Amino acid sequence: MEYLAIVFSPAALLTIFIGTFAGVAIGGMPGLTATMAVGLLVPFTYTMDPTMGLMLLGGIYAGAMYGGSIPAILLNTPGTPAAVATAIEGYPMSRAGRAPLALKTSVTASFVGGTFSVLILLLFAPFLARQALAFGPAETFLLALMGLAGIISIADENSSLIKALIAGVLGMIIALVGTDDMSGSLRYTMGMVDLIDGIDFMPALIGLFSMIQMLELAGQRGHEIDTSALHKAQKREKLPKGIGRFMGLGAGTGTLIGILPGEGATIAAFISYNVAKRISKTRELFGKGNPEGIAAAEAGNNGCVGGSLVPTITLGIPGNSVAAALMGAFIIQGMIPGPDLFTEYADRTYPFILSLFVANGVFLAIGLFFAPYLARIALVPPAIMVPVVAAFAVLGSYALNNSVFDIYLMIAFALGGLVLKKLGYSLEALILGLILGPIAEGGFAQGMVIGRGSPWIFFESNIAKVMWLIILALLIPPLYSYWKHVHRAGKAAG
Amino acid sequence: MFKASVFAGVALALGLSAAPALAGDYPNQAITIIVPSKAGGSTDRTARLFTDLAEKNYEGFEFVIQNIPGSGGQKGFEAIARAEADGYTIGLNFTPQLVAHIVSGRAQYTLDSFHVMGNVAQDPGIVVVPADSPIKTMADLAAASGLTVAVNGIGSDDFLAAKQFEEAAGVTFNLLPTKGSTEQKAAILGGHVDAAFMNLSQMIKQHKAGDARIIAMLTDARDEHLPDMPTALEQGYDVQMRATRGFVAPAGIPDEIQSQLDSMLAEIMASDAFKANAAKGNIFLLPMSGPDYLAYLTDLQAQTQAVYDQAPW
Repeated sequence: MEYLAIVFSPAALLTIFIGTFAGVAIGGMPGLTATMAVGLLVPFTYTMDPTMGLMLLGGIYAGAMYGGSIPAILLNTPGTPAAVATAIEGYPMSRAGRAPLALKTSVTASFVGGTFSVLILLLFAPFLARQALAFGPAETFLLALMGLAGIISIADENSSLIKALIAGVLGMIIALVGTDDMSGSLRYTMGMVDLIDGIDFMPALIGLFSMIQMLELAGQRGHEIDTSALHKAQKREKLPKGIGRFMGLGAGTGTLIGILPGEGATIAAFISYNVAKRISKTRELFGKGNPEGIAAAEAGNNGCVGGSLVPTITLGIPGNSVAAALMGAFIIQGMIPGPDLFTEYADRTYPFILSLFVANGVFLAIGLFFAPYLARIALVPPAIMVPVVAAFAVLGSYALNNSVFDIYLMIAFALGGLVLKKLGYSLEALILGLILGPIAEGGFAQGMVIGRGSPWIFFESNIAKVMWLIILALLIPPLYSYWKHVHRAGKAAG
Repeated sequence: MFKASVFAGVALALGLSAAPALAGDYPNQAITIIVPSKAGGSTDRTARLFTDLAEKNYEGFEFVIQNIPGSGGQKGFEAIARAEADGYTIGLNFTPQLVAHIVSGRAQYTLDSFHVMGNVAQDPGIVVVPADSPIKTMADLAAASGLTVAVNGIGSDDFLAAKQFEEAAGVTFNLLPTKGSTEQKAAILGGHVDAAFMNLSQMIKQHKAGDARIIAMLTDARDEHLPDMPTALEQGYDVQMRATRGFVAPAGIPDEIQSQLDSMLAEIMASDAFKANAAKGNIFLLPMSGPDYLAYLTDLQAQTQAVYDQAPW
């Protein structure tokens, strides 16, 4: 009870509101991410009241994870890699003048996913963190495979499966650049210090989506969005029936995957999107603007917020890079993750967790209230939109690592990606390969060391067996329908 | 400060050069501290412990922390070495990465590129095993064969310590390089590896909570934070490793300015407020003067070279 009183004090509510609002704004700007915002703000919390400082950062984390979906839907420029799946469904909806519905779906799903995951964090954190420890490098490899199965899902229903696969492999090849963690030797760094850590996926994401989208906008003669619908009936379009199922699916998947190590949010969004596509009754609408896809993906990536904090605060093992930055803020205040957080520092930890519920409520209110106004962003003329977004793209690429090199990298991705896109290669598949390739590689290499060179380790544990079943369930149906498709096409031609 | 920057602005506008800085009006602008790792990490927090007190206690001094993370600190070290030696850029270093990059031939700097200001903090090396492991001592670790042992990347302090132990005990580990202490922690707590070479601050809480078991300190004497824990040396294996974090400046800063900075660092480290803040932030102090720390670094480079010559990475 006293913890609730701390959260509902005016100062705390204001702090949470500022944090969440700032988070939505940061996540909503192409190129700025939660990792960056939390990382930049951690030093400032050093001089703040510890509880307030953590609430501020928690608000930013929750807000930014949702905010990433706004530009993804309106401009096809996902603010975080976790919002790429959202863009696949959201942007077509936006083009059809259904942006308000897409935004409403995304904010509701984000709220459901976020709130569910925080509830789990509050109730079961210590227990779940122990269970998650059974998840070793071999299982990490399988999880990355599950995420990579999303490449198939991006491609199927049209015949560009081969091109999507090529793009995915290309992403993994690009990810090879840098230090090989297993031997310490350098791969394709050409003597450049900037390449020792490999190619950061953020400049790639910004180049491949934000920049290319702006280049295409700049190249268009007329700005062709159906604005009439925006002004009329569809403004009040209700959430479709049965969409709660997909939000629940995303919330569960996101929380579960968030608890596991690795860049959870991206994997969670793609896996829930992929599963949603498999179980949907309106599968043919996927890729053309299906709110069900948005619901699953957004509930999935926001589910990671609470999930990723489970191992962070109980064991000191951050679930992703934002959680790692947040852990720095805990340590600065002398709160070393572990059992102490729930005893000695309970008066800070519990208000922090409870504040995340408030943060979820705040962005829900912001999202629902502003959705009709936000939707108009898509109507901004390219003459204003293009320079503003391009400037943010440059700024965001630089700010992540204080690296000018990353700006050039972003531009190179934009130019190379534009060519690939025009040739019909899927950039979503490329970014998925780029992000998940290294996770798969790390898990595979470490698994092989632990298994002393025997691949049996990837099939040994019960978790691994279940994961193989899921991977097969994700892969076989689309491959079968693709085969049928090609077979029929072949017959027709013959 | 505001006045100073206006003055500098006017001077620039008139085409006058604000540099070379005279020792008399030093500092007339904020001093940049390059931290070669992420904000919120242990090196970053060490830097902020210093700037916090330095800004409070020294009139006219302002600091800006610039994080240059990645590549095991190499990018940041290079930036410090390349910085203009005018007293407005200094930085932090950490070992053994600073010398490991020199030894492996990747660094463009050498130890001569820096003026070593002094060491601040340390983190003793430890050997840790899962809580339910049958391994209880370093002798057990040497007796078991073919153990899988997690280290924090090739060329890291953990890696060097593990190599030292392999040599001292005549064993060969199935070494598992990880991407950092987070992965090591998960591997130990989850029982995926038999042992790990890590640092004390990363595991002390888990050890005290009974989630993992530290079996040796890799220091020359017992550590005050865990006084009951015997060293590897006591257990008959001469394996010593600690991470250190200190201040360096680009070589060639004018003497008056450099000595001003050096004595400021020494005074702050000696203050009670500094010690109290460090204890709160889980930072273990090991104050060393500039010459002492330079001698330590030179020695460490020779040791690292010896390991590298036997098993290069």
